[in-house]
Amino acid sequence: MRQITIDPITRLEGHGKIEIFLNDEGDVANAYFVVPELRGFERFCVGRPAEEMPRITERICGVCPEAHHMASTKALDALFHVEPSPVVKKLRELFYSAFYVADHTTHFYALGAPDFVVGPDAPPAERNILGVVHKVGLEVGRQVIEARIRNHHVIELMGGRGVHPVAGLPGGWSKPLTEMERQEIEEIARENVAFGQFSLKLFEEIVLGNPEYVDMILSDAYTQRTYYMGTVDENNHVNFYDGMIRVVDPDGNEFVKYHPKDYLQHIAEHVEPWTYLKFPYLKAVGWKGFVDGKDSGVYCATPLSRLNAADGMATHWARLIELLYAAERMLELARDPEITDPNVRVEVTNTPDEGVGCVEAPRGTLTHHYWTDENGILTRVNLIVGTTNNYAPIAMSVKRAAESFIKKGTVITNGLLNRIEMAFRLYDPCLGCATHSLPGQMPLEAVIYDADGRVVERLTQYI
Amino acid sequence: MRTLVIGLGNPILRDDGVGVRVAETVRGLLPPDVPVDVRETALGGLTLMEFMVGYDRVILVDALQRESGVPGTLHRWTLDDLRSVSPTQHAASPHDATLLTALEVGRRMGLRLPEEVIIYAIDVEDVLDFGEELTPAVAAVIPKAADAILAELCGIREAEKRGTSGGKARM
Repeated sequence: MRQITIDPITRLEGHGKIEIFLNDEGDVANAYFVVPELRGFERFCVGRPAEEMPRITERICGVCPEAHHMASTKALDALFHVEPSPVVKKLRELFYSAFYVADHTTHFYALGAPDFVVGPDAPPAERNILGVVHKVGLEVGRQVIEARIRNHHVIELMGGRGVHPVAGLPGGWSKPLTEMERQEIEEIARENVAFGQFSLKLFEEIVLGNPEYVDMILSDAYTQRTYYMGTVDENNHVNFYDGMIRVVDPDGNEFVKYHPKDYLQHIAEHVEPWTYLKFPYLKAVGWKGFVDGKDSGVYCATPLSRLNAADGMATHWARLIELLYAAERMLELARDPEITDPNVRVEVTNTPDEGVGCVEAPRGTLTHHYWTDENGILTRVNLIVGTTNNYAPIAMSVKRAAESFIKKGTVITNGLLNRIEMAFRLYDPCLGCATHSLPGQMPLEAVIYDADGRVVERLTQYI
Repeated sequence: MRTLVIGLGNPILRDDGVGVRVAETVRGLLPPDVPVDVRETALGGLTLMEFMVGYDRVILVDALQRESGVPGTLHRWTLDDLRSVSPTQHAASPHDATLLTALEVGRRMGLRLPEEVIIYAIDVEDVLDFGEELTPAVAAVIPKAADAILAELCGIREAEKRGTSGGKARM
């Protein structure tokens, strides 16, 4: 048995590692995607007042603090049994839409585009956002940075603090919107809509216009037929902020629709000995291993899944469609006559006990579940973060890509290793949540072991 | 000259928060007549670059994790040093771009970015456990790191007079 290790994975949050085991014939026997464990989160939270959670949980992810802030705020609504007023819901969704535009912009141009715009076989040193800017031109680069800056401004304006917002309260939002702020946000939303349309056009020209990329996207190596999960409104339309969880089968038929608070009735978690992270699956279908299809409980929760679960498409493409949706929703909300209503607080009088809050994070359905005593002091905490939903599909995609690109006698080059990485990068996985230490040495490394565990070859991707 | 000090890291992930703690200490000791902005963030890459727009000088403080590191060791680096210790362009914020790449993108866009970026990095021990307590060796280096930064900001004599640790940073 030979073993290939890709460690650490470039351009991903957290310090994950891929291990590929080859059999004596040189074919892929197994592929594992291992992530480091962040320990003791529940212990950290228990004993603290629940209302601190929107400001604590946003610290566990360095990429989508706003999503945790929002899921947590909604969990507090449920915990304290308070119904937010219509304006509060609209303010939160407006804020959340600005976050989506900023996040999807960054993901597509900095993480996804290097693979497709620059090309999967380009030298590693060019496969980054600089390479993208070089290929598509400075003007596009400027638009990307401007889109990020103007939406981060909205997040700070509405959330009370940039990056780590503070505005979420049980049943409320600490800051109403003034007419002047509303006008500014409306203008920003208009620019976002134009930027979303422009990005879709760019994708159409560069990716869909290139038969080689289209063949690659549609190839078996990058195709997965699983159940798909997403949040929908009463018309089964995509919604990021609120709604029912809808799961469709691999053929697109509705399998189940449930309220987020009932997630434990529908989702169970499978445990493997080689990783601390659990693999969620649909209870009613059951865990059948790392396989796709209708008989396997594995599901995806990605931008593509959300579009499939609503009333199909490649995941990077779906991300751009969501970008445009978020921009249009932002514009709609910014023009809502109620949005400047100053009544953004409600009195909290009920005794807290238990509450679930759920939003669509950019990387998948995000669930926060809190239990407290009658004083609102946390006794238990459970989170299912966006990427966790996709852990089984990620492991399957990695194995499938490895099988397609590593065959008897195939010389393993860095280009091939990158294609394997591409298989999971499209999930935009975010596993090590918030470890941001400066790395001293962080090369991409592949180690191949022979049947006796001896290192026979070491490939490095210093970039 | 407009100067910004940024403490990088996650304050609830034990030693990962050391950069934030150092920045807080610097903020508390800064004389009112030294016009320096101090902020904290857990984000790297493009966001970090965007925070730097409009400043002439930026001092970053961050946790450093490497196999050979002795916890609590303080390093002072320039961007060139960072280039040599971190051979991968995707390192610092793997989710979008590294600081070096992000700065390059910003410059090409014509953004006004600092001429001088200084990085104070501290070797750490534990960044995988949730908690607000730093490990002892890492906590012990905070006054020394703050002194070194204050020395850059207000001149060495000032910092010695202020003397929070009495020692000088090993670099």
